[in-house]
Amino acid sequence: MLPPVVDRRRFLRHAGFGLGSIALASLLHDDGLLASDAPVDPLAPQKPHFEAKAKRVIFLFMSGGPSHVDTFDPKPELTRLHGQLLPASFGPVKTRRGVDKNKLLASRRQFRKYGQSGIELSDWFPHLARCVDDLCVLRGCYGDSVTHPESVYLMNTGSVLMGRPSLGAWVSYGLGTENRNMPAFIVLPDPGGWVKGGSPAWGGGFLPTVYQGTVVKGGSAPIEHLANPPGISPTQQRKTLDFIAESNREHLASRDNDSELAARIAAYELAFRMQAHAPELVDLSKETVATQRLYGLDQKETAEFGTRCLLARRMIERGVRFVQLYCGDTNGWDGHSNLEENHGKLARASDQPIAALLTDLKQRGLLKETLVIWGGEFGRTPMSEGTSGRDHNPHGFTLWMAGGGVKGGVVIGSTDDIGLRAVTGKAHAHDIHATILHLLGLNHKKLTFRHNGRNERLTDNGGEVIYEALA
Amino acid sequence: MYRLAGWAGVVLASLCLPLVACATDADHHWAWKKPQRPAVPTLSGPTPSNPIDAFIRAKWEAVGLTPAPRASREQLIRRVTYDLTGLPPTPEEIDAFVNDRSPDAWAKVVDRLLASPHYGERWGRHWLDLARYADTNGYEFDEPRPDAWRYRDYVIRSFNSDKPFDRFILEQIAGDEAFPTDPEALIATGFHLLGPDMTDSSDQAQRRYNTLSDMTDTTALVFLGLTLTCARCHDHKFEPLSQLDYFRFMAFFTPAAFRRDLSVATAEEVQQFQRQQEIYQDLTKTLRAAIDAIEEPHRQRIYEAKLAKLPADAQAAYRTPREKRTGGQLELIAETERQVQVSEAEIAKALSPAEKSRIDELKDQLKAFDAKKPAPLPTAMGLKEGSPQPPKTYLLERGELANKRDEVEPGFPAILLPGHQPTPATITPLPTSTGRRWALAQWIASPDNPLTARVIVNRLWQHHFGRGIVATPNDFGLRGATPTHPELLDWLACELIEQKWSLKALHRLMLLSETYQQSTIVTAEARERDPGNTLFSRMSRRRLEAEAVRDALLAISGQLNRKMGGPGVVLPANARAAGGARAIAATPDAREYTRRSIYLFSRRNLRDNFLQAFDFPDTNLSCPQRERSTTAPQALALLNSPEAVTAAQRLANRLQQEAKTRKEQIVLAYRLTLGRSPTAQEKDRVAAFLQDSPWSEFCRALFSLNEFLYLD
Repeated sequence: MLPPVVDRRRFLRHAGFGLGSIALASLLHDDGLLASDAPVDPLAPQKPHFEAKAKRVIFLFMSGGPSHVDTFDPKPELTRLHGQLLPASFGPVKTRRGVDKNKLLASRRQFRKYGQSGIELSDWFPHLARCVDDLCVLRGCYGDSVTHPESVYLMNTGSVLMGRPSLGAWVSYGLGTENRNMPAFIVLPDPGGWVKGGSPAWGGGFLPTVYQGTVVKGGSAPIEHLANPPGISPTQQRKTLDFIAESNREHLASRDNDSELAARIAAYELAFRMQAHAPELVDLSKETVATQRLYGLDQKETAEFGTRCLLARRMIERGVRFVQLYCGDTNGWDGHSNLEENHGKLARASDQPIAALLTDLKQRGLLKETLVIWGGEFGRTPMSEGTSGRDHNPHGFTLWMAGGGVKGGVVIGSTDDIGLRAVTGKAHAHDIHATILHLLGLNHKKLTFRHNGRNERLTDNGGEVIYEALA
Repeated sequence: MYRLAGWAGVVLASLCLPLVACATDADHHWAWKKPQRPAVPTLSGPTPSNPIDAFIRAKWEAVGLTPAPRASREQLIRRVTYDLTGLPPTPEEIDAFVNDRSPDAWAKVVDRLLASPHYGERWGRHWLDLARYADTNGYEFDEPRPDAWRYRDYVIRSFNSDKPFDRFILEQIAGDEAFPTDPEALIATGFHLLGPDMTDSSDQAQRRYNTLSDMTDTTALVFLGLTLTCARCHDHKFEPLSQLDYFRFMAFFTPAAFRRDLSVATAEEVQQFQRQQEIYQDLTKTLRAAIDAIEEPHRQRIYEAKLAKLPADAQAAYRTPREKRTGGQLELIAETERQVQVSEAEIAKALSPAEKSRIDELKDQLKAFDAKKPAPLPTAMGLKEGSPQPPKTYLLERGELANKRDEVEPGFPAILLPGHQPTPATITPLPTSTGRRWALAQWIASPDNPLTARVIVNRLWQHHFGRGIVATPNDFGLRGATPTHPELLDWLACELIEQKWSLKALHRLMLLSETYQQSTIVTAEARERDPGNTLFSRMSRRRLEAEAVRDALLAISGQLNRKMGGPGVVLPANARAAGGARAIAATPDAREYTRRSIYLFSRRNLRDNFLQAFDFPDTNLSCPQRERSTTAPQALALLNSPEAVTAAQRLANRLQQEAKTRKEQIVLAYRLTLGRSPTAQEKDRVAAFLQDSPWSEFCRALFSLNEFLYLD
């Protein structure tokens, strides 16, 4: 994909998001414009490099860093060593708050095998346990930093330094989007607060702004500037738009039918359509009671995250390319103390909605083309912090994927006996990103963007596709 | 950067990749050689008086193009006013130019605008893009940098005073070494520290190295158009830049301390402060001691009680001496400091009634001396060295801090040296510093440097004409775009040096050219022979940038507050908490909200919605060229944002106040927004629209006209 000429034209001649390509093309052709001079819609659907299993992505980001040893990575040896110091054989270990000399802390969770695959999960996830045969659990993940923002940036942008384009932005750049009335990359932050590191986690970095994540909320104005100004009726809005269109068409005719001016006229029509389309998208009243219940909208604990999971399904269904949900407020899963309470609450809030999302996608036939990813910025230490918490652990943690060409019911990689470090099947953010892009039909080494003289890519100089994870 | 064919050079260069790897090509690249002033071409017809036109027309002659018609006077004054000030011309300014029949009418407009203080606000913004300017640190806490604005104001002042560009370079790279007593020069070194910075990093050595890399990369990109960045981890794959070059370049910076508290007061200000402080201290000594004697025990007790409630590790963090705290401890403190803060109210509550009345009395007495209290002295971010003795710099394998290899001495990239041999730079130590950055600054600001002058004149050209002569303004290397007019580029570079590095002289030269004054009309001949306008056979139509859109809305609706300088304005909409970043105080005075966009406080983790819609750049890396997108969110912003809606209402009011009849009001509206009077047909259309729509709707519609958003 993206031979140099197309690449250039795409970032030179923007006409998204979602300038209806048909509307635009007809406008330009009616005006007899040269094809070579036509704006290129940067979000027009693009063919991948090779045939893709996954067409869309839902990334469930667990902000704060959930503990792998209490969720997806059982460690009997940790239970046995509970209360002892980290054995010397593990060598020095870096953590954020210097807990390396603290006692080991056993998980208080019960792990059981589920499904045909017999993958073990902790009792925090009774609903997800029923979907376990769809999960590909990567237990050998590791990162580069012990701090939140650097690790959030790493998992989202492939670099601990801030300001690089995020995974969602790269995917939108590589594939465009099928829904011309919505942004290609939608972010649904936790209403309790943004992830540590803020909007650069879904930023576009040096990529054109059109690819960055757009925050969408529920309600009548889900997107910034979408609602008509106070006191302006739809009839008045239409009248004003007609005045604008008429003036702009006259201007266009006197300006050699400049294609960029034409594109902007079309942008106004699209804006008008979006005003009708976006509120419909976030209106859950059309969903059946059964569906609403499935996602837990009828229960206080699950209603909020359930709503966002259901929104994610509606967006995916309507062709949005990449949806990212943040689970947990600014502190999120950051269980430095009283981890049981902190994680317990978030697990209860998210378990049923996530299971519902997987089940619902599957029954609608969407799961095979939708890649669902679950993971945070790091895991947590087997050593205790205080008496009841765990510190950040980027040396080993778990992330899982489901759907979209992923092999279900498998565990890849492992941490050592106590869950401190990844030891087999090690997966760095670059490897995970390379795998995600591969599932989407993109070669991570070929998806590049020239910036300040360098062909930048999501995986920098690294990244190996995890072939074992592919169906 | 909009026209496709303008990038033909880039496309070709990247297709030719395998060829340029060969050493001789790399050695003979045009940009490595010092520009020699070429002769101005002679044309078949009369020679134009402006040499720029001669260079441009010579290329037209070769393909048989004739000049495009001149733009109308209304178009010209609108074009140049936005171009030089980022604001629309007023109806009076338009009339004055349209009616001025003197031969130097155009030159008078250009000179007036170059002398306007708004020029620095416009062109300073271009520089801030390059300098990755923002007002916060980024990462988790995104703390405000209370003094960053001093650098922004320094840049604006420098452009306005037409500071010679070589001096501008010297100040930013080595102001502390070169002009240690000049506060302006100290503020200028803030350039190096403008990038994102993780203050609470768990690895402070890595943090420092990140900043060093950032200043190395940015200095090379901004002043030299050199993509040195790629040589940090390995020898550059496509340019003759080695990893050794990278670390030798970094060695110029390694002796520097990164300071956020540089005193930038003049000697006089310091003296005055000390005098006044002494007076104040003397006058209030007994009062303050009496207050402390009552309050301090309470403060201490409340603080200890609060501290005791924190987890043990947090308590330990507070009890660790400030300079010994680890990154984790700094984070703990940042997360908990609100929990241990003791407020005045808490102390007041703890006082006994007798103490309370005594304190009130004492504080009243103290207040009487407030007028004698000196204002705090100004501080700024910047670089400083303490000793002529440099620390060691090492080449780092794979660019990783843990992999120290050979020690390196500071040196300039070998490809730019005679014989292309890596030779250590000649450095003369100064009394309290190594002199390294001073040597680097002099080398960059030298007329002999092959890149410096070319790179800056290309940036001026790019902003005036819509595309650089080199279309990749931060990349003059082998992989950069081939210049469309290499002789003109060299001529302009030599002219800049000849004009004692005066940027205003170069602006003037470019703006007075006939090339600049062409219309945007594409003739059939031009469409055929110069489809991408690489020959500048017409003016490129340009969209207003984010700031220009917002500033124009304010100016046209009569709301613009033209106050210059000072701390960034925090709009209420941009004051909220964002992830780990706390809410910051919105600027209290609402009159500040309508100041120019360059004065808006820029947060790395929370970007302004309106500016972002119009391609306000990411502030984390040097941005030489803004994107120019056409999107539905832009349409929504101009239709529905509070910025546009308020401006529409205010413009409607303004029209009623400043024009009497309905007809005059319509004419004024067009002149303010589009810089021209409406046609008869337009007048009819507006009259029909106004029959059942309010004036504010008409004004709202005007802001969505392409003619408002684009410059002909």
